Formats: sequence, structure tokens, C-alpha cells
Amino acid sequence: MRITSGIGIAWRSMSRNRLRTFFMMAGVMIGICSLTILDSVGENTKRETMKRFKNMIGTFDTVIIRPGAGKTRGMVSLTNVPPTLKFEDAAAIAAELPEVKQVAMLQNAFDIDVKYKDKNVSPAIFGVSANWLDLRGDEVAQGNFISEEDMQSLARVAILGSDVLPVLFPEGDAIEKTIRIGDVPFQVKGALASRGAGPGGGSLDNLILIPVTTAAKRLFNRDFLTMLIAQVREPEKSDAAVVKITALLRQRHHIAASALDDFTLTSPQAVMAQVTQMGSTLSTILKGIATIAMFIGGAVIMSLMLISVSERRKEIGLRRSVGASRRDILLQFILEASLVSTIGGLIGIALGLGGTNLVAQMQHLPPILALQALEWTAGLSVGLGLVFGIYPAWRATQVDPVKALRT
Amino acid sequence: MIDVTHLGKTYRRGDGTPVEALKDISFLIERGEFVTIRGPSGSGKSSMLNIVGCLDKPTSGTYRLNGEELSGYSDKQLSHVRAWKIGFVFQSFNLMPRTTALENVEIPMIYGPGRVDRKRALAALERVGLGERTHHYGTELSGGEQQRVAIARALINDPPLILADEPTGNLDSAAGVEVMGILRQLHQEGRTVVLVTHDDAVAACAEREILFRDGVLTSDRKIAVLATE
Repeated sequence: MRITSGIGIAWRSMSRNRLRTFFMMAGVMIGICSLTILDSVGENTKRETMKRFKNMIGTFDTVIIRPGAGKTRGMVSLTNVPPTLKFEDAAAIAAELPEVKQVAMLQNAFDIDVKYKDKNVSPAIFGVSANWLDLRGDEVAQGNFISEEDMQSLARVAILGSDVLPVLFPEGDAIEKTIRIGDVPFQVKGALASRGAGPGGGSLDNLILIPVTTAAKRLFNRDFLTMLIAQVREPEKSDAAVVKITALLRQRHHIAASALDDFTLTSPQAVMAQVTQMGSTLSTILKGIATIAMFIGGAVIMSLMLISVSERRKEIGLRRSVGASRRDILLQFILEASLVSTIGGLIGIALGLGGTNLVAQMQHLPPILALQALEWTAGLSVGLGLVFGIYPAWRATQVDPVKALRT
Repeated sequence: MIDVTHLGKTYRRGDGTPVEALKDISFLIERGEFVTIRGPSGSGKSSMLNIVGCLDKPTSGTYRLNGEELSGYSDKQLSHVRAWKIGFVFQSFNLMPRTTALENVEIPMIYGPGRVDRKRALAALERVGLGERTHHYGTELSGGEQQRVAIARALINDPPLILADEPTGNLDSAAGVEVMGILRQLHQEGRTVVLVTHDDAVAACAEREILFRDGVLTSDRKIAVLATE
């Protein structure tokens, strides 16, 4: 028998028994549908989380150093960190450790009053070093960023975040205008492009950047930093860099061997790994559940096929008498099971994609087609019919044509 | 054509006790003969027909069809023989449910030639006088018509041997005469026809009669062919 005739026979048998075919398809359909939804939604969420995370931390080859022994929650600021991390620490890390390419400095505070004429805002003020741009992946939308000379000369220049700019300057023409941060006049030097949302969904754009030296000497009058970002030369070896930085800082801060660090190091790679891990554990569990649904679908196929085989003993006997071999019968029933589950699976995938886009719309995420998921769900539905069709098909080959034809 | 020597068939019952359905059977049927196999029920005639039709295998002795010794044949080889050499006609017609006359006739082409030739199937139905009823389902046809569909199906791969097991058993006499007329025609075309029947009038169409009783061949004789009506 040719495969094409086998498919033809299977198709006719399916269309002659629509109700049975429907129930056989239903299980696979539901299983594949939920698998598709879970998979694409999971993939979607993971990508979105990663994107937001990247928005916040910028590049991935950095180690973040915060003052305090890991007690600080949320974003650091001058009001919630101990005064232990100094400008000299930053210079030492950059100068003494060959693993470190450069170190960016941050001294920041929140809710500082900023005025331009009659306009008021209370953004975060970030005193940053000139290399901040490299390490955070910010983009300057207009004007220029803080330069090394600005750092040296304690220039009173400001870079506006994209939330601040339209409030202070509705006309958009901000460059070289003088704003007042606290009581200190600053000249607007540039404006940043938007970073988008952070991991919590909040804005990362409600801020003004100024030179960190200016911040320390002319605005906040504090000699300690709230955060250092060390960029390592080889991202794969960031663990080694973490060890070296820890040793150097302990030495500089005169910490006894028995005492705890007075700073906290975080490598974004480690945090990322944790976040991804969480996401994939959840999706593994969900996949497990959907897989069970699939197997129930497979069991339904198998039992209905078994019933079908015993109902069709006469048909089997007749086919055998006109020349069908056992192999032909086996092939016919396996093809029938596979065709049912394949069509069921395709319907399931179609429904699943519809569902995915619905969920994506509700979560305000861009719809994504997880193509690699499609491949394996399609494969799964074909395979399901094959696997669960084998036993009933084998039973069909064991039908004795002599007995089946006798009435 | 059919050469059976010292053939035996032993079944095992459910409880394991052996039942000898056929004992030391030998006969020879030449190409083109019209033979009837008769005997009371349980005499072994149906077992004999199933072995001749390659649906069952003997437990001892040999069976040659067209000189081919079939006892060592695999399932695939036997299926090939059934597809090309043998046409079955059953008492209960065995048409497929929810399937048109035409589709029924096409089934053996799937296993023999491997491709369905609709024109040939239509011609076969035409031949048995059902050219107008090709798209009717089995349930929409009379018994005689159903049996004629079955005969068309048996003929579609042009087999030299027709095996008919009580072909008129479920038919009224008029339909029976019609069916026997077709079988006789097939014989006249040169096909070998082996017919199992209880009915004397039906058996009278054959030219030779083989009698079975308790699994033993008791009589094998030529009979006078009745003049056709």
C-alpha cells in the first residue's frame, strides 16, 4: 500500500466518524493549545524582563559596588548609605587592578527641587563621572555629555533626563539655559534619550545628571559616593575581578580579617542568571502540566482507536482478504492516529497563537511568535499520534480475518 | 491450478484441546474448472476454502497454487497472492459501511496495483449491471445488488481464481439465480471457480463436486452440467 492511499483511507475514515474524530482531536488540541500559549507567553515575559533589567543596569560587563554590607534595599542615595566609599577608592580600583577597564562614580540624591523660571520639578540628581555614558549605555539626544574638563573644573553643567526636559522646557529649547538645582545655578549642556521602564515598571528617566565632582563640592557637600560601577576587561572573568576588588577595598578600609565587608558587590550577570532561572522554573512547571494534558489527549486517542479497531474488525478482515498485509493494516491505523493528532495539534497551535496575542495585548507586551516552540509542539502532536497509535494499530494486525469475516 | 496434498489443519480450542478440522486432504483442481465443495456444517469445507484463499495456513501437507508452494510464504507474500490471484465472494457480502459501491470496488486496487483506477472500477460495476448505482451506499442497495458489488470487487484485479462461500445464502431465489449467472459467466471466461454451498440447485451449476464429512474428503466426482436456462 502506498502512503498516499493510506492517508486517503485515514481521511475517509475520519470524515465518516466525525464525533469520534472530534473527541480524538480534542485532547491533543487542548494540550497543544495550552503548551503554545505557555511557551510563547513565558518566552515573551522572559524577554521583557531581560529587556527591563538591561535598561536598568546598562551593560553586562560591569560589577556594581555599593557602600554598606548588603543592607541597602532598592536604589542607593546619599540619605541611605554609610559614608564609607570614597573617590580615592574609585581611583585605586581603576589604577591598581588590571582586570578593571574603568570605574564610573555616582553620588545621587532624590527629590531635589529644580527650577527654571516658573517651572518646578523634583527629579533625582545624579552626580556622575564622564565615563557614565559608556557604562550605562545612555544616549545623548541633544547637546553634549559631561566631559573630563567639566569634572576637573567642577563645572556647573546639567544633562536632563527625558522626563524632566519637557516639564522645564515645553518648547524643547533647553541647551545653555540656566536652571537652579537647589540654590545652585547650572547650565543645561545636554539631554538624554529615554531608557524606558525599569524592572518594577517605573520610569528611569526622571533625573538630572551633573559632574560628580561638582555634586560633591558645590551641591551636596559630601565626600563619599553612593555607587561605583567597575567595567571589567573580560566579562567571563568578572568573578575574578569581584575577588580582587573585594580584597583591595578591604585593605583600603582597614577591615580586620574576621570582620564583614563594609560594601556590597553585585555582578549583573549573577543577578540576571537568577532572574532567568526563576522564569524558567515557573515555565518548566507549567510545561509539565500541559504535557500531562497532552498525555491524557494521547490516552484518549489510544482508547478510542482501540474501540475503533474492535468495531472495524470486519473492515480489517475484508481488507486482508483482498490483499492487505499486516503491515498495510498497521500503517493504516498509525496513519489514522497521526493524522488525527496532527490536525488536532495544528488547530491547537492556531488557537494557542490567538491566545498568546490576546494575553500579550492584556499585558501590553509586543506579540511574539516563539518559532522554536512551534517546531516542537508540531513535532509533539505528530509524535503523539504515532506513539499512542502503535498499540491499537498492532491490535488491528492481530485480527484474524477468518473469524472477522464469519457471520 | 489448485494442488492440495496430504493437507491437515488442527486448531486449538480455548482450553487447549486440539481439534482436527481437516485430515489428510488431497485433490487437484485444474485451471478453468467449476467446483463445488459441499458437506454438513463442521465438515471442514470452510476451513478448506480459507486455506485455498490464503487467509489461513495448513498445519501439515502442502498447498500449491499455480505451481507455487505456499507453506513457506510470509504474510506479505500471501497478501500479494490474495491481491492478484484470488477473488473472494462471501455469504454476508462484507461491503464496507458508509462507503459507496464504487469505493468498495476500488479497495483491492489499493493493495494490488497500488493505485486506484476509477475507470476500471466503473467498468467492473457496469459489468455486473450496476452502472447506475455506483454512488449508492451498501445500505441503499438490495441484497442481490450488494452481492453483485462484492463480485465486482472480487474481479477488479482480474484474478484467475474466484472463491465463493455460500454466495446465495442471504439472497432470495431470484437474486440467487442472478448471482449464479454471473459466476457461471466468470467460469465460461476461463476463470477457476470454487463454490461452497448447502443449496442443491446452486451446486448443480458446477461441473464437479467435492464432499467433506468430519474433516475428511469423502467423495470427488464429476456431475452433469445442467443446461442453462
